[in-house]
Amino acid sequence: MSACLAFENLTGGYGSTTIVRDLNGAAAAGEVLCVLGRNGVGKSTLMKLLFGYLPCRVGRVLLHGKSVDGLDPAARRRLGMTFCPQERPVFDDLSVRDNLTLMRNNRHLSPFRSYFARFPILERRLTQHAGTLSGGEKKILSFVRGLAEDQPVVLLDEPSEGVQWENILHMDACIAEKKAAGAAFIVVEQNLAFAERIADRYLIVDQGRAILEGTRSTIDRERVLAHMHV
Amino acid sequence: MDPLIVTQAINVLYAVSTLAVLALGLAVIFGLLGVLNIAHGEFVMIGAYCAYLIQSWEWPYLVALPLALAICGVIGWAVEWIMIRPLYRRPFDTLVATWGLSLLLRKIAEGIFGLGFRSVAIPLPGTVDFLGTEYPIYRLVLIAISLAVVAGLVIWYGSSRTGSRIRAMVSNPELAQAQGMSVRQLAAGTFIVGTCLAGLGGVMIAPLAPVQPFMGLDYVLRAFFVLIVGGLGSVLGLVSGAAVIGGFDSVISAVTTTTDGYFAVLVLAILFLWLRPRGIIAHS
Amino acid sequence: MRTASSVVLVAILLPLGLGQFWSYQLGLYALYATAAVGLGLCWGQSGFLPLGQALFFGLAAYLSGLAFIAFRGVSAIAVAAMPFIAIVSGGLAYAIGFLVFRRPSESGAYFSMITLALSLLAFQIATTWNSVTGGFNGLKGIPGLPGLDDISDVYYVSAAALLAVLALAGWLFKAPIGVLWRALAQNERRLQLFGYDTNQLKSVAFGVSGLMAGIGGVIYAPQQAIVTPQVVGFGLSADLVIWVAIGGRRSLLGPVVGTLLVGSLTAQLRDTLPFWEVLMALFFIVIVLVFPQGITGLAEPLARLLRARGARPPILAAKNSTDRLPARLTLDGVGVRIGEVTILDRLSLDFDQAGIFCVIGPNGAGKTSMFNVVSGELATASGRIGLGETRVNGLAPHRVSRLGVGRKLQIPSVFPDLTIADNLTIALWSGRAARLQLFDPRLRRWTSPVLEELKGRYPFLASDARKAAELSHGEQQILELAMALLTEPRILLLDEPCAGLSPDETSAVIDLIRWAARRLGGATIVIEHDMSLVKELAELVYVLHNGTLLAKGSVAAIQADPAVRAVYVGGEK
Repeated sequence: MSACLAFENLTGGYGSTTIVRDLNGAAAAGEVLCVLGRNGVGKSTLMKLLFGYLPCRVGRVLLHGKSVDGLDPAARRRLGMTFCPQERPVFDDLSVRDNLTLMRNNRHLSPFRSYFARFPILERRLTQHAGTLSGGEKKILSFVRGLAEDQPVVLLDEPSEGVQWENILHMDACIAEKKAAGAAFIVVEQNLAFAERIADRYLIVDQGRAILEGTRSTIDRERVLAHMHV
Repeated sequence: MDPLIVTQAINVLYAVSTLAVLALGLAVIFGLLGVLNIAHGEFVMIGAYCAYLIQSWEWPYLVALPLALAICGVIGWAVEWIMIRPLYRRPFDTLVATWGLSLLLRKIAEGIFGLGFRSVAIPLPGTVDFLGTEYPIYRLVLIAISLAVVAGLVIWYGSSRTGSRIRAMVSNPELAQAQGMSVRQLAAGTFIVGTCLAGLGGVMIAPLAPVQPFMGLDYVLRAFFVLIVGGLGSVLGLVSGAAVIGGFDSVISAVTTTTDGYFAVLVLAILFLWLRPRGIIAHS
Repeated sequence: MRTASSVVLVAILLPLGLGQFWSYQLGLYALYATAAVGLGLCWGQSGFLPLGQALFFGLAAYLSGLAFIAFRGVSAIAVAAMPFIAIVSGGLAYAIGFLVFRRPSESGAYFSMITLALSLLAFQIATTWNSVTGGFNGLKGIPGLPGLDDISDVYYVSAAALLAVLALAGWLFKAPIGVLWRALAQNERRLQLFGYDTNQLKSVAFGVSGLMAGIGGVIYAPQQAIVTPQVVGFGLSADLVIWVAIGGRRSLLGPVVGTLLVGSLTAQLRDTLPFWEVLMALFFIVIVLVFPQGITGLAEPLARLLRARGARPPILAAKNSTDRLPARLTLDGVGVRIGEVTILDRLSLDFDQAGIFCVIGPNGAGKTSMFNVVSGELATASGRIGLGETRVNGLAPHRVSRLGVGRKLQIPSVFPDLTIADNLTIALWSGRAARLQLFDPRLRRWTSPVLEELKGRYPFLASDARKAAELSHGEQQILELAMALLTEPRILLLDEPCAGLSPDETSAVIDLIRWAARRLGGATIVIEHDMSLVKELAELVYVLHNGTLLAKGSVAAIQADPAVRAVYVGGEK
C-alpha cells in the first residue's frame, strides 16, 4: 500500500536549535501512525514540520508520493491535509458553530449530525463562545472540526488531552470509521491506552530521535512504557 | 430647548462622529494587524485632495469618493506588499517605515499642489431648521454618514463570515492557517480597508478643513489619542475614545482657544497612557 | 584618539577652504547637528525614536533669545544663562521620558506619537503666544554673542558646540551606560532580568538628547538673531530624522554627516530641483528598510583602521551591594490568571535548603509561568511569594532581580550585537555599580573571581571581541548561564539549560550547574524535560500539573507515584 503521508530523515527545530533529528515514518490509507513520547521530546515539533509551520533542515515530507517542501500550512490544507494543533485548538472568540463552519461554504450543520450524536455536548453549546469551553471540550470541538473536513490525511496532536474516557472511546470509533473510508492518520499521543486502541504503527521518540518503531503486533509494551514515563 | 445648547450639543455630536470615522482606519490597522500606520493622516489628505480635484474639474462631489477609494486602495495595496508585510514581526521598523511613507506622500502632495491652502466648497451649503436651531446641512449629513459607516462596519465585522475570519486570523493565526485561511490575503485586505476608510474621511471633511499637505498630522494624532483613550480591542472603545477626545476638545476649544483644546487633549492622552494603558474599556 | 583629532582638524580647517557663504551655512547646520547627535543617541543606540526632537532645540532657542533680549547690553548674563537653558531642555526631555516610559509599550509607538504631538503643540503655542514668542513672525532683533563679528568666528562657536556635544556623546557611548543603551535596544526583557531599570535608562537617554539639542539651540538664537516657530515644529523634527537616517544612526559621526551633507544640500537644491524632497523621502525609506547603517556605514572599514585598540589591564569589580547569602524561596498559595485561563492554581512550593532541584511536568503545567511569576513578569492574583523575609510578588522584574534572583531563559537570551566581554560585564555591573559609576568607562574592564574561574573553564568566554551572535547555540547557552552566575544570585532559576545541546555541550553545562550550585550555596531550580538529566542533577523533583504541585520527592519516588504515572502515560479514568 502506498503511503498517503510519509516523512524521511526529518530534521528541524526553532531558530538555531535542532529539536528533532532523522525521523522517518509513514501512514498509508486506512492506517494510524501513533507518535509517542514524553514532553519536550519533539512530538509537536514533528507535527509542525509535517504541516509546514517549520522548515525542514534535512529530509522531506511526501504527500501521496510528492514532496510538499516549501508549501505553507494553508497550501498543505488545500492539498488534502488536516491539522488539529495541541495548543490553542479552537478560536476562543468565535462561537462553537462558527468554529465548525468557518471555512465551509455555508453554515449548515447537517455534515456534523453524526458527530453531534456521539458528542452531544457540542450541540448543546453551539451558540457559546468556544473560549468558555473546558479544555477537554475544546479538544472535542477541534477533533470534530478536523474529521469533518473529510480529508485523506489527518494530523492530530494530543486529541485526548483533558478528554474523559467515554468521549475518548467515541473518538476511537470516529477514527475507526474514517480509517475504513481510507483516511490516513498521524496521531501524537500521551495516553497509552488510547494509542493502543487506534494505532496500527508506533513511533516512539525520545530527545528528538526515533527510539522505537513497530506495528501493533511487534511493539514491546514494556519498552514503550519505559520511554513514556518519567 | 435653548437653541444655544442645541447648537453646542450638535457640535459635540459632529466632532465625536467625524472623529470616530477618521479614527476608524487607524483602529482597523492598529487593532487588527498591530501596525501603527503613521501615514494614516496622509491617506485622509489624499481623500481631501481628491475632493478638491473633482471640484476643480466641476464634476459632482460624490465622484470624489470612488476616486479617493481607488487611489487609497492602490497605494494601500502597494504599501502593504512592499513595506508592511516584510516587517510584521518588527513593530519598531514598521513605525519608521510608515513615518517614511507619510513623509513621501506629503512631499508628493507638496510637489503637485504646493504648500498653500486649498479650499473646497461645501457641496450642500446652507442651513436647516433642526430642533429649534439653524444648523448647517452638510454637517448634519456628515453626522448621519459617520454614524452609518461606523455602525455598518461594526455590524458587518461582528456577523459576517469575512468578519469572523478576520477575527479568527487575528486571535489565532496558526489555527487560521491550519484551516486554509490565507493570512496574507486577509492581512492585505484589512490594511487596504484601513487606508480606504481614511480616504473616505478625507472626502467627507475636505469642505470643512483647510486642504494642505500637512493636514494629515493633526488627524493621525487625534485618531491615535482616540485609540489610547478608547483602547484597541473593541468598537465600543473606539466610540468612547472618540467621545472623550472629541467631546473634550470641542468643549474646551469653545470655551478658550483651539491651542488649549489641543493641550488638554494631549494631557488627557498622557494621563490615560499612564493610568489606564488599556483604555477605558479594558480588553484582555 | 586618532578619529577624534582628525575630526577636530577637519572642523577647524573647513571654513578656510570653503569661503564665507559655506562657513555661514555650516555654522548653522552644525547647530542642527547637535540635536541630530542626540537623536542618534535615542534612535541608533537605545532603540526608540523621538519624532519631535526640534521641541528641545527650539525651546532652548526661544529661551536664549528671550534672555539675550532681556539682558541687552549686559549680554554676559545671558551668556551665563546659556548652559542652564540647555539643562532645562534636558530636564524637560527627561521628565517627558519618565512620564511616558513608565508605561511599557510594546513597540515604542506611543512614545513616538507623543513626542510628535508635543512638537506640534509647541509649534501652536509658539505661533499663538504673540506676546512672548512674537507669534508667527518670530522673536526678532536678538543681539549677537558678545565679541563676535566675523562670520568665521560665528562658525567656530558653532563648531565648538558641536565638538563639545560629540565629545559628550563619544564619552557616553564608551561608558557602561552606552553599553546598557545598546543592550536595551537588543533585548530589553533580558536587561530587566539582570536588575536594570530600563525605563530609567531610556529616560536618561532622552534627557541627554534634550540637553544636546539645547546646547545647539542656545547658540542658535544669538547667532541667527531671529527665532521663528519653525525651529520648534514638525518640519525641523522630521528633517532631523531624515538626516540622522541617511548619515547613519548607529555611529557617532553619522548624524553629523547626515545633517551637514544632506541638510545643507537640501537647502541649496530645494528650489532648483522640483522633486528633490520627494527623492529624499524615497531615499529615506530605502535606507531605513535596506541599509540602516547609512552613509557612514560605507566608511566603516576605514573607521576600523582609525580605531586604536590596545588591551588594557582588567580591574577588580566592587563588592555586591546587597547581602548575597542564600535565601529561601517560598510560594504560598500562588494563583495566576490570564484572562479567563488559570495558569497557576494555589501553587505552594518551599525551597528551604541549598541544592539542585528539578521541576518537571507536562506541557502547560505552569513551569515557565512559575519562573515568570517569581521574576515579577506575571502578576499574582492570589498568594504570596517570599525571598527570605521579603515579599516579592508585586515588585517590578528589575527589583526582583536585584534582590538576588538569577534567571536563565528558555531560549538562549543574550545581547547578540554586543561583544562577549560587554555581555559579561553587564552582568557584573548589576548590583555592584552605583548609578554614577555607570558613566565611568573604566567599569568596562571589570572582572571578578567568579568570572576568572568561568573563563578558565570555558576559554571562549575570554575572546572578548567576538560578538555574541557569532557563538554557536551551545556556547550562547553557556554564555547566558555564565552571565546569570556572575550576578552571584541567591536563587538560580534555569529554564531548560540543555535544550538543543549536543551530548558534549550537555555534559559541560551539567558540570557548570553543579559547580555553580556549590559556589553559590543557594537553591538552584531547573526546569527540565530530559529525565536522564534530571536523574543526574536532582536531589529533589517537583512535578507540576495544571498549575499546581502534583508530587514531590526523589526521582525514584516520583517514578513510583501512580498520580504522576497517570499524567505521563494516561489511563482509563
